[in-house]
Amino acid sequence: MKLSRRCFLSLSIGGTVGTALTPLPWKLTDDMSIWSQNWPWTPVPPDGAYTYINSTCTLCPGHCGIRVRKVDDRAVKIEGQEGTPLNQGGGLCPLGLSGLQLLYGPRRIQGPLKRDGERGKGQWKPISWQQAIDEVSRKLADIRSQGKPQSLACLTDSDTGTVPQLFKRFLNAYGSPNFFRMPSVEDAYESVLSLTQGVDGFAGLDLYNADFILSFGSALLDGYGAPPRVMQAISRLKEQNGTLVQVEHRLSNTAAKANVWLAAKPGTEADLALSMAYVIIAQQKYDTDFIGTHTEGFEAFVRMVQERFDPQKVAAYCGVEADVIVRTALAFATAQKPLAVYGKGKGQTAGSLREALAVHALNALVGNINRVGGVQAIPAYDYLQWPAVMTDETAAAGLQTQRLDRARSPEFPHAQAIVHRLFETVNASPGEVQALFVAEANPCYSLPGSANVQEAFDKIPYVVSFSSYMDETAMQADLILPNHVYLERYEDVPVRSGTTRPMIGLCQPVVAPQLNTRHVGDSVILIAKALKGAVAESFPWADYESCLQEALGDQWDAISDQGFWAAAESAPASLDNGFGTPSGKFTLMDETIGAVYQVGEPSAAGDASEYPLLLMPYDSIRLTSRYVGGTPFMLKTVADTVLKGQDGFVDLNPETAAHIGLGEGQAVRLSTPVGEARVRVHLDDGVMPGIVSIPRGLGHTAQGPFLAGKGVNVNRLIAPVEDPASGLDAALGIRAKLTKA
Amino acid sequence: MKQTQTHNQKPPQRYGMAIDLDKCTGCGACMVACSAENNVPFKEDETNKLLSITWMKVFRITNGREFPHAEVCYLPRPCQHCAGQHEGHSPCVSVCPATATDYSAQTGIVSQIYTRCFGCRYCMGACPYHARYFNWWDPVWPVGMEKSLSPNVSPRMRGVVEKCSFCFHRYQLARDKAYAEDKREVGEAEYQTACAQACPAGAIVFGDLNNPEHAVSRIAQPDRHDHYKSQNPRAFRLLERLGTNTKVYYLSDREWVRKAGDNYLADENPSASTPPKEHA
Amino acid sequence: MDSALIPDGVRRCPLWKFLLGLSVAGAVLLWGVYAMLLCWVKGLNQTNMNDYYGFALWIWADLAVIALGGGAFFTGLLKYVIGKDELKNIINYAVLIGFICYSSALLILAIDVGQPLRSWFIFWHANVHSMLTEVAFCLSCYFAVLTIEYIPLVLENRQLDKVPFFHNLSHNMHSAMAVFAATGAFLSFFHQGSLGGVAGVLFGRPFAFREHILIWPYTFFLFTWSAAAYGPSFTLFITWLTEKITHKKLVKDNVVFLLAKISGWMILTYIAAKSVDTLYWMFQTAPAQGLQWHFFYQNNAFYGKWILFTEIILCGWLPALILVYRPLRERASWRVTAFVLGIIGVSLNRWVMVLQTMAVPVMPFDEWVLYIPSWQEVATTILPVAYGVILIMISYRYLPIFPQEKELNPITIPNGQEPELTTDPQDLAVKTMAVSNSVEEVAAT
Repeated sequence: MKLSRRCFLSLSIGGTVGTALTPLPWKLTDDMSIWSQNWPWTPVPPDGAYTYINSTCTLCPGHCGIRVRKVDDRAVKIEGQEGTPLNQGGGLCPLGLSGLQLLYGPRRIQGPLKRDGERGKGQWKPISWQQAIDEVSRKLADIRSQGKPQSLACLTDSDTGTVPQLFKRFLNAYGSPNFFRMPSVEDAYESVLSLTQGVDGFAGLDLYNADFILSFGSALLDGYGAPPRVMQAISRLKEQNGTLVQVEHRLSNTAAKANVWLAAKPGTEADLALSMAYVIIAQQKYDTDFIGTHTEGFEAFVRMVQERFDPQKVAAYCGVEADVIVRTALAFATAQKPLAVYGKGKGQTAGSLREALAVHALNALVGNINRVGGVQAIPAYDYLQWPAVMTDETAAAGLQTQRLDRARSPEFPHAQAIVHRLFETVNASPGEVQALFVAEANPCYSLPGSANVQEAFDKIPYVVSFSSYMDETAMQADLILPNHVYLERYEDVPVRSGTTRPMIGLCQPVVAPQLNTRHVGDSVILIAKALKGAVAESFPWADYESCLQEALGDQWDAISDQGFWAAAESAPASLDNGFGTPSGKFTLMDETIGAVYQVGEPSAAGDASEYPLLLMPYDSIRLTSRYVGGTPFMLKTVADTVLKGQDGFVDLNPETAAHIGLGEGQAVRLSTPVGEARVRVHLDDGVMPGIVSIPRGLGHTAQGPFLAGKGVNVNRLIAPVEDPASGLDAALGIRAKLTKA
Repeated sequence: MKQTQTHNQKPPQRYGMAIDLDKCTGCGACMVACSAENNVPFKEDETNKLLSITWMKVFRITNGREFPHAEVCYLPRPCQHCAGQHEGHSPCVSVCPATATDYSAQTGIVSQIYTRCFGCRYCMGACPYHARYFNWWDPVWPVGMEKSLSPNVSPRMRGVVEKCSFCFHRYQLARDKAYAEDKREVGEAEYQTACAQACPAGAIVFGDLNNPEHAVSRIAQPDRHDHYKSQNPRAFRLLERLGTNTKVYYLSDREWVRKAGDNYLADENPSASTPPKEHA
Repeated sequence: MDSALIPDGVRRCPLWKFLLGLSVAGAVLLWGVYAMLLCWVKGLNQTNMNDYYGFALWIWADLAVIALGGGAFFTGLLKYVIGKDELKNIINYAVLIGFICYSSALLILAIDVGQPLRSWFIFWHANVHSMLTEVAFCLSCYFAVLTIEYIPLVLENRQLDKVPFFHNLSHNMHSAMAVFAATGAFLSFFHQGSLGGVAGVLFGRPFAFREHILIWPYTFFLFTWSAAAYGPSFTLFITWLTEKITHKKLVKDNVVFLLAKISGWMILTYIAAKSVDTLYWMFQTAPAQGLQWHFFYQNNAFYGKWILFTEIILCGWLPALILVYRPLRERASWRVTAFVLGIIGVSLNRWVMVLQTMAVPVMPFDEWVLYIPSWQEVATTILPVAYGVILIMISYRYLPIFPQEKELNPITIPNGQEPELTTDPQDLAVKTMAVSNSVEEVAAT
């Protein structure tokens, strides 16, 4: 049959019309839209049984109570645990809220890794846990057999709780005094409490009950202490019509929310505090009862203050007018419950001991020591009652050696650990450290002078990281024994920040371990056991969990049920026997303290003629600069005037910028005596002229695509400046210059 | 029948928010809690804020003065759940051609139906608050991270608009629970948005504006006879003059902050502004 | 080769030349199609639109082509309903241009929406309060009308016309055309208006918002009016351009003058109304929302007061006056200048109503946001232009679009010989003279 053109036309037209009249096109249209509503590549989270598990967040020293929502075996949301002493209001910070992005995120280490290639190149060979433990213990046995157990050093985030204490115990049994914890404002507070009150403990700041808070640069609303607790305290202060005064060179979020913002020049804060002391004394507004009965050295203190800290004199160089100093000092002294707070930013550096003492002296002048709404010295936690460490001869000899940082030596009697000295020592004499353990810390990123730290790492023959994440320090390791993340493990976390009430939070497994990781406590116990002898005998526990249960003893049941243990609400220690000083009194001034006041502030490194500006880092709660890096959700909150694409910004006062000829968003070269970086400029009227303000928490070189390569790590641009009084790093800023890129 | 009548006399719920800007610290916890609660997608680079989905966004506003007189205030902006000049005449709801966004007369919540939205983005053009976001990309969770997704909120596909829902799924759960338990009302504490719950400073208060027992109505003091305008001298609403009639009230003691909530001519005084005009 | 398809009594360029032109336009078209596929497959991240610019280049292009395509409905209205019979000599082309404009608008919309596969929800889940729903309904209906109006033209092709069915169909459709024209005008009134309403109802956007008459904001009426005013100018401009390219006079001057005069008066009345609307908005609407009109033209790198001047004075009042004033209207250079200005004016109006509306900050702490389209957006916007050129080329070659072409361009070459395109300059001059003679003839009558 021949298909004529006519026939073909009729067929095709008829076919088209016919098909259009069938339900087919409509069905297809409908199916297409249904398909678009259920694209297979758009995930559909499976539903299941809902449960809530209470635990404690360990991502910062705040240790807030958290409540994790689960659907079957998946954790789907972290919320604040309402109504606990750890977290009254139930709020939580951005980092705590986005913890699941760490748990399930791509920057985690899948299992034990052994370096396979050059250091820092990121070439790894997965090994078994057995191999990993064998490897470390063989290496450690080797070092020990050479009679140099002291050349093993360990760096962790904290020194309280079973995990840091297991490390410390391991070092003791092994024979090394070189246990280090990362620096923080606690270092300064410990020194202050020890010097003035003779107490070995931590400072409990009763922000919640104060009605006048005078903060010396503390980022109370940007991550200081336990962020939710501190923020609630400040909100309460506002509700009660209390006063917040912020002394800070920059209009930080805390300064923005303060009733009064005193823009004192960096480095003059101690002098400002002492000039306020001058006013309080001169106007007889100090607590005569407390000063008269419970202090010593008042006369000497008065003499020193009168001689050197007349507000007129101080006003001339600190940037705050004399009458403002007087007004603030009087308002502070006449408040019901005034509280002066020390600690720069989030409190991740020790800072100046002189300033810490001066601030504490203000509290003492108004009699606000060991009182509700004041500073309470809380004795160190003592719930870990472990049997004594077995020390064999090797260990005994090793423990006799001087700590590498000379902390707790006559030179620096009050410092627990001086971390920058550890790395300086390594750089000066490489043989001193043969092996380094790093747990829950990221010194290659978060220590000032991180370039020097990195250099020191190159000189340490054997580095073991216990990190859960492939961070900058893990990248420098020879062996990684990855820890569970906090949502997969048990851990006791004694609270030291933002509370006056001793509390132990329990971090408990919310989900089963997702990867081939192991609790760091178990790793330490296994390494000890593999070393045999006295070292092994010092670790009688089968595993970490039994060690923890034993440590918490009778409280275990209650704590694992509730998620925390809190000491009964009790009155602060009495003033009559609250001071451990020889005289039993609060020491306002003695020879040691006088010497600290006598030396000036450690000044920022660099020559002012070459580097006319001052680079000052600032803390933001939307970023994190500790062991754990920021999460993708947190990065959503970071403004495009802080980070844009890969470019990090510095904030400049428009006047300073105009002086150099810089405009908004312009790219510049930022140089300091220790490093340089390309940054962009953001103009901000909240920045003091002459200062370059830069955020902490950016500029990672590791930790995956969400973090790496974004912005500048300020620790690469600053260097430690040793406080002559404490030995601790007091560096906050450094001199700098900007040149057009 | 009689029961129904008495039920009708009671005003419907009108969920709303009061945000104390003097308490807000700009920490961003609300933004993160919101993203985590609502399965908001994220990308490697979130620095282009014009392409970054943030149902809750914290704006930073300044008084424009020089150092050291500069002041800063943060302003969290969820969807304002506008009612418009007559209930339901929200800028966005009135323009959506496919009824993919709707106004609930029962709760006052403006919904978004992702599977009905076909992505014309007219609602985004209509919203003066930029509370609406488009899925320019397919949402991608790094391998393993999809485990953190909540089944209460469906992840959105590419090509649709999304926005804050006042955590409507939480309302549904609370309502179902309340209904199962003697058909009682949903309690204040039973239905809270993720942002209000997460705010460490306690700056966000959420509840029923029509229920005098709820804290939010005591703070916002809405005048039901004047388009719910607040009678609290500390309070203001964003762009009230446009007649959007929002359900998010902001509070501040500072006049410059209150003034930043709306547009004023040079000679105008915020407290004596003209009432919004009626729109058809 | 294709001479059998070419209408009787007219000359067309050689096939190779036609195909060459077609392939150039086709290449541009393919580029646009590639960009279109990118947008469909990879999603709208291919554009430079963002959460502040939900509406951008495409919506502008949509609004602009629909405004320019307004020549079809308005010329139809004039011819079939009002009875300006001379316009029958340009109505075919007006319909063709309208058809191209409207099909382009639909295509652009199909690219623009995030979920094209669900775009029929606009009909299924229609929200009758939305201006966009009104647009969608009227736009698709009117497109159907344009198709019906275009079909008889297609059927007039020499070969198709030989089929008795098609011949009769075409004839019958012609006689019913008045009904369609009236329907088209009615539908156009609403969708042109509702496109104006799209911006005017945005009470959250003080730049676009206008007061209402019943449910319609002023922009509703202004958009309809401006489409009716500038659409014919665009038809005339494209006709002029076609004449330049084909080197032929295709429409007699009396027709052109008539339509230009109507267009002129429409522009004049429109721009007067637009000026009143603008002044009212400046001094009444905007200040009521706390905004000085200057605010909308400050603090940004692009949107300045020059836009107001350009849109209203330079591209509004000026072309209106030129077209209304007979001596200028009848001089080709002035007339075409007025057309171009008018086209720019109406396009600028649509641009402003879409893009400036998006750019202006509304919250006092928000910022101006400017936007530059991505190449994919540009390519997909040029795509309809290429498609239009192709459709015009094919239609012109094979369909009797211009009823006066045969009369204006008599073929003097003996029958049986393939006519060739003149390349000899002398020849051209003779032809031009012939054309100008015919113009004089027309003017004299």
